[in-house]
Amino acid sequence: MSQRVKLGKLWDIYGTLCILLVIVVLFSALSPTYFTRPENIVQIFLQSSITIMIALGEFFPILIAGIDLSVGSVLALTGMITAQLMVAGFDPTLAVLIGGVGGGLALGAVNGLLVNFTGLHPFIITLGTNAIFRGVTMIISGASPVFGFSYDFVDTVTGFVGFVPVPVIFALSFAAVLWFFTAKTRLGRNIYAVGGNKESAFYSGIDVKLHTLIVFMISGLCAGLAGVLSIARLGAAEPAAGTGFETYAIAAVIIGGTSFFGGKGRIPSVVIGGLIIGTINNGLNILRVPTFYQLVVMGGLIISAVALDRLIARMR
Amino acid sequence: MAIRPDDPNEIDMSNLAPNTAGPAGIEEVAPIVRMVGIEKHFNNVAVLKGVNLDIRPGEVHVLLGENGAGKSTLMKILTGIHEPTGGEIVLDGVSHPLVTPREASEAGISIIYQELSVINELSALENLFVGRLPVKRRLGVPVVDWKLMETEARSIIGRLGLGGLDLHKPVGEMPIAHRQIIEIAKSLMKNVRVLVMDEPTSSLTSVETERLFALVRQLKAEGTAVLFISHKLDEVREIGDTFSVLKDGVSTGHGRIADYTNDDLVRMMVGRVVKQRFLAEGSIDRTSMPVLKVENVTSADRKRVRDVSFEVHHGEVLGFAGLVGSGRTDLMNCLFGAERRAGGRIILNGADITPNNPVEAVKSGMAYLTENRRQTGFTPNFTIEGNIAVTKSVKDAPLRGTWGLVDRKAERAVAEEQRRQLSIRCAGIDQSILELSGGNQQKVLVGKWMSIAPSVIIFDEPTRGIDVGAKSQIHEIIRALANAGKAVIMVSSELPEILAVCDRVAVFRNGRIMDTLDGATATEESILSVAMRDGK
Ligand SMILES: Nc1ncnc2c1ncn2[C@@H]1O[C@H](COP(=O)(O)OP(=O)(O)OP(=O)(O)O)[C@@H](O)[C@H]1O
Ligand SMILES: [Mg+2]
Repeated sequence: MSQRVKLGKLWDIYGTLCILLVIVVLFSALSPTYFTRPENIVQIFLQSSITIMIALGEFFPILIAGIDLSVGSVLALTGMITAQLMVAGFDPTLAVLIGGVGGGLALGAVNGLLVNFTGLHPFIITLGTNAIFRGVTMIISGASPVFGFSYDFVDTVTGFVGFVPVPVIFALSFAAVLWFFTAKTRLGRNIYAVGGNKESAFYSGIDVKLHTLIVFMISGLCAGLAGVLSIARLGAAEPAAGTGFETYAIAAVIIGGTSFFGGKGRIPSVVIGGLIIGTINNGLNILRVPTFYQLVVMGGLIISAVALDRLIARMR
Repeated sequence: MAIRPDDPNEIDMSNLAPNTAGPAGIEEVAPIVRMVGIEKHFNNVAVLKGVNLDIRPGEVHVLLGENGAGKSTLMKILTGIHEPTGGEIVLDGVSHPLVTPREASEAGISIIYQELSVINELSALENLFVGRLPVKRRLGVPVVDWKLMETEARSIIGRLGLGGLDLHKPVGEMPIAHRQIIEIAKSLMKNVRVLVMDEPTSSLTSVETERLFALVRQLKAEGTAVLFISHKLDEVREIGDTFSVLKDGVSTGHGRIADYTNDDLVRMMVGRVVKQRFLAEGSIDRTSMPVLKVENVTSADRKRVRDVSFEVHHGEVLGFAGLVGSGRTDLMNCLFGAERRAGGRIILNGADITPNNPVEAVKSGMAYLTENRRQTGFTPNFTIEGNIAVTKSVKDAPLRGTWGLVDRKAERAVAEEQRRQLSIRCAGIDQSILELSGGNQQKVLVGKWMSIAPSVIIFDEPTRGIDVGAKSQIHEIIRALANAGKAVIMVSSELPEILAVCDRVAVFRNGRIMDTLDGATATEESILSVAMRDGK
């Protein structure tokens, strides 16, 4: 095989990592004293953990050439249910299982079933459910935050193992599980087949509807777990939590080289995509860029990162 | 792939091609297009190794060669899709190292690609004018001139015999043959001096092919140069004047078709003589229990497939012939559970296996090679290995083919096995299926279904785009499956193929079997007369 092909393959695997390194070098140069401190590196990972969790879920609908715009509301609703269950006296583990895990899977299933039964594009379905889930969150909370749940829960979730924060361990191990799932299991491989060509998959004996349902349930589950992380970090369930998070999740997935046309993408690159978002956020904060300007810079960086990736991919 | 000098199949072309050298004197017309010493490498693999080709006005030149010989690649160089690695292209006497798509189009070169390039979401009309919508001015504002479009489109489509076509329907909802005709019409909308047709008839039945040929003859009489690629030798003989042969990226002969027999042509392409007929040897026992029994299958709309019943016996290949739109593919979809039925049963060796969806069909051992490999056949983001392995993993896995780990080692072995058996031409089973030639993609799909060792096999146009050598290989496989007691059903629009392989021929029209003919005595004429017979 020629060198150009090898280069292309290498870029597929390590391209996102290169972009991350460029961004790290950039911020290290702009903030030589603070940015590279070990505490700050840990901080970056911690700040990225929720983005990574949601992006891991978002990866799957995009892999089948769909999208999930409801992840931000799923995060808020599952977080709210978990918090209310704890306030109502449920054991925190049980509350997390019902609210975060069960709630996330159920809301994802709602998306998946609607997509299957209406045959509409997931963009439309999840645009709708995004509003519905947010509305339900407001209704059950009376539009005000829920506080005062178990300290044990908050302490555990915001704690450390050694010097590594629990959410980071959680997000990375979950990513490892999903990586294994996509690379080694039949179900994972079949999802790529559905993403490549739904009709061929159907005629090959793959249950496309079942796979679509599973894809949205995974997305819901990840957003639900992110909801749990989020209420622990804030110490409260905010009805407006996660607003606009879908943008970051989609950005992380796309920066991670996942194709919008379906069938192409890798979990590790999505994790790095999430880290890129987190690093940019962190770096801009350190440089004391005002919030509104941060938005502008963030948007510009997202576009440049993806443009760079595609440019290099095309040069092979 | 390099030619091995010690290849036993290598034959001496000199005694086969009397016209290759010397001032024979017949080729006095100056060529519009000359391709000289064209070379092309993909990832350092040489695909074309110094090919020469002349295209002359008023002549139909046929380009012959096995799957992967480089025919499509050569044509894509002519139209500017690929850049050649070496050689020159002479257009009207002016030499170019390469042509851009624009130069090709300005020189009047128009191409019908092997893989359909119509856009499924657009209407026929929009497809015909895509990229060059005619504009008129209304109150000084430019608007699309739909009326002009419609008149122009009608006239060209009418000449191709589809006058009644609904031009406003999305192309994706039309049968593949109609899409092909739109593709052809598209290439004729411009001022054409050189028309390149890369397997234009692969999804047409004989009736549409005849109409196309009438048009080609007319163009030829007007002085258009036509380059025609096809694996169907009868057609080649009917429409072609001269030919050249490509083998492994090298020109290995050219001449006037009339000077050669079909066997000669096949020998030049394949290096050996291939077997032509594959009917069952000995007689078929039609008194004992049939392998497959299909009872009263009706499609959900009760129109496209109406109350179809038939039997397939041990050792028998049942063919389905009919015109485009007669409902053969709809019937196959109903059998496989890919389309909803209003009723009907499918009985395999006495057991009811009627599938409700393709998952059940695959699990009960049915295989279905669909007619449109790009749309319903292959998975474009997968390698050869992945494409072959997916179906087998569905069949083997419990619970709707979903759970469990991928066994890479076993899957590689299966894919390698199919690659060897079908002699799929590729760099390796890790190559993307998109990089294969059309015929080799088809072989991958045959391999994908062979890998599940099916008991019922539906082949819908199994040899579409497959070269003569590989075709006889696939026919041999079909025969072997029937001999092994599998139920084999073959749909084909190519009547010679039906006659070569099928022991019985069910002729389909308007969603029903009009008549079932004996394969040994049927002729193209007898099949066609039933296919066009009136009656409800
Ligand atoms: N984009 C590509 N990248 C790598 N290899 C390619 C590419 N396109 C074609 N090839 C290789 O070039 C060779 C010639 O392919 P081509 O499509 O020209 O064959 P063909 O003669 O048209 O065959 P067929 O009769 O099957 O259509 C094949 O071996 C194919 O795998
Ligand atoms: Mg070709």
